Amino acid sequence: MLEFELNVNGERHSVRAEPRKLLSDVLREDCRLTGTHVGCEHGVCGACTVLIDGQPARACLLYAVQMQDHEITTIEAIAAGGRPGALQQALHEAHGLQCGFCTAGIVMTFEAYLKENPHPSEEEVRDVLSGNLCRCTGYQNIVAAILKAAHAKA
Amino acid sequence: MPKPRFRHIGAALPRKEDLRLLTGHGRYVDDIEIPGALHACFVRSPHPHARIAGIDTKAALSMPGVFAVFTGKDLAQWTTPLRMAPPIEGLHPVEMTTLPVDKVRFHGDPVACVIATSRYLAEDAAEQVEADYEALPAVADFDQALAPGAPLVDESVPSNLVSRQAFTTGEVAARKREAHRVVECTFSQQRMTHLPVETRGCAAVWDEGRRHLTLHIGSQVPHPLRTQVAARMRLSESQVTISSLDVGGGFGQKIALYREELTVAAASRQLKRPVRWREDRMENLLAASHAREDRCRTRAAVTKEGRLLGLELQIEEDFGAYCFYPANYLARVVAMILTGPYKVRDYAFEVKVALTNKCGNGPMRAPMAITSWVMEGTMDAIARELALDPLEVRRLNMVEPGELPYAMPTGEVIADITPRETLEAAVKAIDYAGFRARQAAARREGRYLGLGLCSVVESTTYGSRFYKAAGIPGSGHEAAWLRIEPSGAVNASVGLGPTGQGYETAFAQVVAEGLGVEPASVRVHMGNTDVAPYGMGSRGARGGTAGSATLFLCARDANEKVLAIAAKMLGFDSPEGLRMVDGRVEREVLGERIETGIALAQIARTAYLDPTALPAGMAPGLDFSKTYDPPPMTYSNAAHACEVELDPETGALRILRYFVAEDCGTVLNPFVVEGQQHGAIAMGLSGALLEHMRYDEHAQNITGSLADYLVATATDLPRFEILAMHTPSRGNPVGTKGMAEGGVMGSIGAIANAVNDALAPFGVIADRQPLSPDYLRSLLRSK
Repeated sequence: MLEFELNVNGERHSVRAEPRKLLSDVLREDCRLTGTHVGCEHGVCGACTVLIDGQPARACLLYAVQMQDHEITTIEAIAAGGRPGALQQALHEAHGLQCGFCTAGIVMTFEAYLKENPHPSEEEVRDVLSGNLCRCTGYQNIVAAILKAAHAKA
Repeated sequence: MPKPRFRHIGAALPRKEDLRLLTGHGRYVDDIEIPGALHACFVRSPHPHARIAGIDTKAALSMPGVFAVFTGKDLAQWTTPLRMAPPIEGLHPVEMTTLPVDKVRFHGDPVACVIATSRYLAEDAAEQVEADYEALPAVADFDQALAPGAPLVDESVPSNLVSRQAFTTGEVAARKREAHRVVECTFSQQRMTHLPVETRGCAAVWDEGRRHLTLHIGSQVPHPLRTQVAARMRLSESQVTISSLDVGGGFGQKIALYREELTVAAASRQLKRPVRWREDRMENLLAASHAREDRCRTRAAVTKEGRLLGLELQIEEDFGAYCFYPANYLARVVAMILTGPYKVRDYAFEVKVALTNKCGNGPMRAPMAITSWVMEGTMDAIARELALDPLEVRRLNMVEPGELPYAMPTGEVIADITPRETLEAAVKAIDYAGFRARQAAARREGRYLGLGLCSVVESTTYGSRFYKAAGIPGSGHEAAWLRIEPSGAVNASVGLGPTGQGYETAFAQVVAEGLGVEPASVRVHMGNTDVAPYGMGSRGARGGTAGSATLFLCARDANEKVLAIAAKMLGFDSPEGLRMVDGRVEREVLGERIETGIALAQIARTAYLDPTALPAGMAPGLDFSKTYDPPPMTYSNAAHACEVELDPETGALRILRYFVAEDCGTVLNPFVVEGQQHGAIAMGLSGALLEHMRYDEHAQNITGSLADYLVATATDLPRFEILAMHTPSRGNPVGTKGMAEGGVMGSIGAIANAVNDALAPFGVIADRQPLSPDYLRSLLRSK
């Protein structure tokens, strides 16, 4: 067991965990932030995507102990003060989620992407979204929501 | 029937579910904190077929944090086996223990369960469980299973042929003799799995003092699951609560009580500790539930104009090793509804289902998925062989509006459907008339376009009378309750198990409509068996039909009592002329609506807190319940049209346009319905193009990760263009027909037909899926 601190959503969390414990499990179990979901544990489905220093990363492919001295952002930080962010609102309005299990990973991926690419084309959005599996929606309304959020911000 | 006009049903309301799911506050099984919970991990067989000579658990038990290791022998003491023996002719009864005792039957079969203080430690210990196997020869597919002298998957099934049914009506042999041509074709659909992004999992909490089990689990069918859990643990149904809050996708995988889940529940009871389990993705791929893998052959006797005189169908399905459902359950429906919108009197089918050494099959979104591909592929084959236009062949054979209701040769009656209307709309939208010229021009440039059509008649909702006729024990009914609380707040419940269909929103609209309140004031509670009434859960496409009809009727009962109380409060003898709109009672006087000043909250207060003011003889409170059994079968319909471009060098496909014209009756919420259409088409295309659960010739599963089992991503799928052509059904009080599986059926057929149209110049026919680049290239090279 190791004791270390993690900076998650601007708060410091003291963690006691084995070095092999995945960031996804530490966030969910030790930090009690269960909004980050685990879908495959081998880096394909994208459900566990969080931001590390503002960049999207698969929390299931990282050990928590590696993440000391980094800023971690999870879905719980996106709706500041309980009000959904622009992308979350667009997903709501465009019916861009059904079961909702993959949604946090998609929101985190595009929170980062839209900051760097505020005016993406549909093709670019689909290309980036191809790193997140969704089994419910057929992606069409997710794509529409992302484009809508980009327009709203522009 | 005049089109019903609704105030709330049909409104495009954004979903009530969304906020919690968007902000990370959903409550999927693994999000529920349970203090002191132990973690389970299963030891799984590396062999497809082997005798269990012994299981040495000593090393695992000596590891830190390990509480117990249970095997099949332990579970056999604490749980009863699952016996699958409905009285269906040609279906062999089978039985399975909770965990295997004598032998394993597929690669991934669970043989032991390790319980430890964390999932990490449980996984460590599982590696130290020493199972001693004596490998047995295995059967890897349908043909191996039925070969003479084949090893037996289940010794109680003498030839691995677990089910065979045949049916004939009319004189198919005579029609074949009279025919201008007998067109024969084959269709082979690969093995797949549901792949919900949330894998299976559960958390069992045994309360020793109350002798009560709470099972947190993502379930489509909470009450039927409770019945199973209770029976197999020898508990009463009053000793088990199933709690299913948010569920990360089901698609048919979260219906059965799986052996792992029962093991976890039994372990909690034995250890008197909460036990939880979350399978990893490899387990989900190897051992949760598989689907499909069926081969069909049709022989169509036709005139030279392409008119269908008689039809034969053979289905062969590879069902895997274990039967969580009657083995004929999936394939038989295909045979029952094959002919869909087409007129034919003389029809015969044979359905054979074999056991193999693979993970057991279950229903996956559209268990009858292959149906429309087979029928519409047969239509295309008729056109191809007779050099006719495939659209004209369809028009020639399709039932006319004036001929409805129409009895299919199997006796299934289709009514209130619009197959001609949707077909014509789809071909118009995709410019069928202009396509051949575009196709010819493209070919001159070395580009290969193809257009595929697929009409769908979707069996959505099974009533009890259908089950009875099919010999399957069970009911098709649904149950609901509605309570108006003293404050006027409206709670309602129905026995469905939501997995993303937006029920909380769409059903609030239904209740609002029936009762006369705003949808925002209605909360629909589902998934907890202590709260919800005993209904049959979510499967097929019964939510929008059975679920909404039950809730609507319940809300109408409530409305009646509310208005009776309002009449008394207003000093009238009868509620005639009164109605409630958005929670306020109005009175109609000479064709005009007048506010009475009475609101639901006042009525509710009277009902609960001033019952002596109620009409004479009326019981206090506003508490209603209702059950409803839908007609034997409800059908909706659609027509799909898809245009593809095939790259003959690489075998790659690009979907250029995709249209669906659909009639699913009254739409409860167009957002939700369109979302379901997208999702169903996507699942069909994903399967038709990519998905393939592969076993090698020794029955070893070689598809253990998402790098092996490919599903469609955002770049693989086109934009779906939807033509809404909904006409209400007369079959239920809301007018819904059900939907959400037909998209799978239609897209599988439309894409296959489009690919074969593109392949036409090469003289090859794709008759199996997935339509992968490898497969298409191999076809092209064969020429």
